[in-house]
This record gives sequence, structure tokens and C-alpha cells, in this order.
Amino acid sequence: MSFNSLIKKLLNKSEDSRSVAKKRLQFALVYDKLEVKDGMLEELQKDLVEVISRYFEIDRESLSLDIQRFEGSSALILNTPIVAAKHQKTNEKARDKT
Amino acid sequence: MDGKVIVVTSGKGGVGKTTVTASIGAALALQGKRVAVVDMDIGLRNLDVVMGLENRIVFNVVDVVQGKCKLKQAAIKDRRIDNLFLVPASQSDDKNVIKPENMVWLCNKLRKEYDFALLDCPAGIEQGFKNAIEAVDEAIVICTPEVSSVRDADRVIGLLYARSISPKLIVNRIVPKLVEKGDMLSHVDVVDVLSIDLLGLVEMDDAVVVSSNTGKPIVQQKDSRAGEAFTRIAMRLDGHPDLPIDDPMAQKSFWKKLGKKLGRKKQE
Repeated sequence: MSFNSLIKKLLNKSEDSRSVAKKRLQFALVYDKLEVKDGMLEELQKDLVEVISRYFEIDRESLSLDIQRFEGSSALILNTPIVAAKHQKTNEKARDKT
Repeated sequence: MDGKVIVVTSGKGGVGKTTVTASIGAALALQGKRVAVVDMDIGLRNLDVVMGLENRIVFNVVDVVQGKCKLKQAAIKDRRIDNLFLVPASQSDDKNVIKPENMVWLCNKLRKEYDFALLDCPAGIEQGFKNAIEAVDEAIVICTPEVSSVRDADRVIGLLYARSISPKLIVNRIVPKLVEKGDMLSHVDVVDVLSIDLLGLVEMDDAVVVSSNTGKPIVQQKDSRAGEAFTRIAMRLDGHPDLPIDDPMAQKSFWKKLGKKLGRKKQE
């Protein structure tokens, strides 16, 4: 790293575009390698929301689904804040409905 | 002994395949090898113009494959460099006129006649690409330090591996100043992401533009960093695989110079 970029880093904590590029690239390649069809992740997310909603009250909007790479293997990362657990009875009702 | 057929490919267009093919071909010929560069971009030929041989074309690679002429008749001798020959693409045909089995035959012919044959692959991963990689011995993948180009290179590398070809990488058009400023992927980043062997690093060099304007080979221009890089790449292909790869660096800054001097003093 040159002196100039060091100064830049100290003054400005935001990432340089080189690191941004590398991260975006790694992300894109994970998807490319898995050959995930466009829209498949969105459908999965819909299905997951439906299933999880039978057991928990969740904030549907803030649920996030991602594919990440850890040491050579790909992982599906689901992240959702839980508002409350649903009671058993409502669970059963929900199951009866479907 | 039979020669080697090497495809130069990239996936993405406009990253410098044609220039790299012409330059490495010229460098190999200057090193005393008998070299053919073959334009496989049927319908969109360019290698002839880059090499300044556009008005000498009589026959093309499609004619050779279809038996309308001999390989030797289609191979145009370079104006400046001995032992360098261009087999031009056809401008009026479609990529599908050449079949994979034609390529097996063509590559065998090339191996018999030349020490090295470099195939300039068309952009994309369709029939033209499939033809170009069908019967080669080795592959060179070109990318620039950009997200889109590296992504496409990854795809092409995957397709080559699927055909049991282990390609080597050239990172083209590196701007050392931008890399040091943190505004361009470095070759280390690129190699890290693609996990593939490096064949060479080529800096962005205005002389390449001049060279393609005039049709004079960049490897014959004096003081061209890119030209020098291509010469070294050619040496790596021709019996010196372990020739060190220079790390492109921006002009030494005051601080770096100072740091180096201090470092040297410490060593003494």
C-alpha cells in the first residue's frame, strides 16, 4: 500500500473500490458456479417465509436469504428477526389450513 | 517433432485477445520459432488488421478446412518478421461452417507445419469458442482487472477444465497507479479469485494503441512495457516456464524510494 492510500484510509474509513470490486466478484462467482436460476432464490424465500410463519411471527420484509462462500463450500444463509413464537394451537390451525 | 496448438480466449470481448495473439506470435517468431497465428473469429476478422496484413489475403481458414486450398496457401507471411504466418478468418461465412471434426484435422496440420500455432478465439462461449478449443494442446485465458472480465474468465476457465484443458492466465491492461491507489483489482486479487496459474502480467501501454494503428508489432517497439511483457510471456511458453513474472509497479514515489534506501542501508 502506498503512502497516499494509507493516508486516504486513515482519513476516510470507507472501503476502496478495489476491495468492493473483489467482494462483488467473489459474490457473483459463487452464484455462477452454483448455476442458480434467476428467481429461484426469491421463490425459496417465499416458501421459507410461509413455513417459518407457521411457527414464528416474523417480519417478512426484513428476512434475508443469501448464498455465501466459506472455505471452499457454499452456504445458504437465512437471517430473520423473530417477533414472537406462535402458540401450538395456532400452529395446528395453520397446518390444517394448508 | 510436432508443434503446439494454443488457443487464446477470454469469454468477454474487447480485453485484448487479438493483440495478445499477434504479440505473442511475433515474439515467438523473433525467438526463432516457426509460428502461425490463426484468426478463428469467422465473420468478424481482425487479426489481419492488427498485424497490418489486411490487403494480402487470398485464402482463409474456411477455405483450408473446406479443401479449397492448402494450409500453406492460406498462410500469409508477415511483412517484418520471418517465420511468422497469419491464417486469416473468412469475413463472409458464418461460425457454423466449421465443425469440431474440421478443427481436429486443422490442428493436426498446424502441428505438423509449425512449432507454435496460436488460435485467436472469438468472444463468447458459443460455437466459435467451442470450435477454437476443440483440439488444442494448451489454452491462454486473458482478462483485464475488471469485475465483468474476471467473471467471464472464470466461466471460460470452467469450460476449459471440463474439457481437461488447464489454462494459464494473462492479466492485461493493468494500471499500476490505480492498483496502488486502491482503485483497481490487483493481479493478486484476480489470481486469488480465479485460482489459476499466471502466465504473465501486461500493463496498460499507450504504445499498444499506436502499434495497432500502424500494424507494427508491439514487441518490436523500443521501451514498451507491454512489448517487454509479451516477449517474456513468449519465453515462458517456449522452454522457460519459470522465468519470473514482474510485478507491475507505478513510478516509484518519493516515500517508496526513501523506504527502499532505508531498507537497503539496514541490510548493509
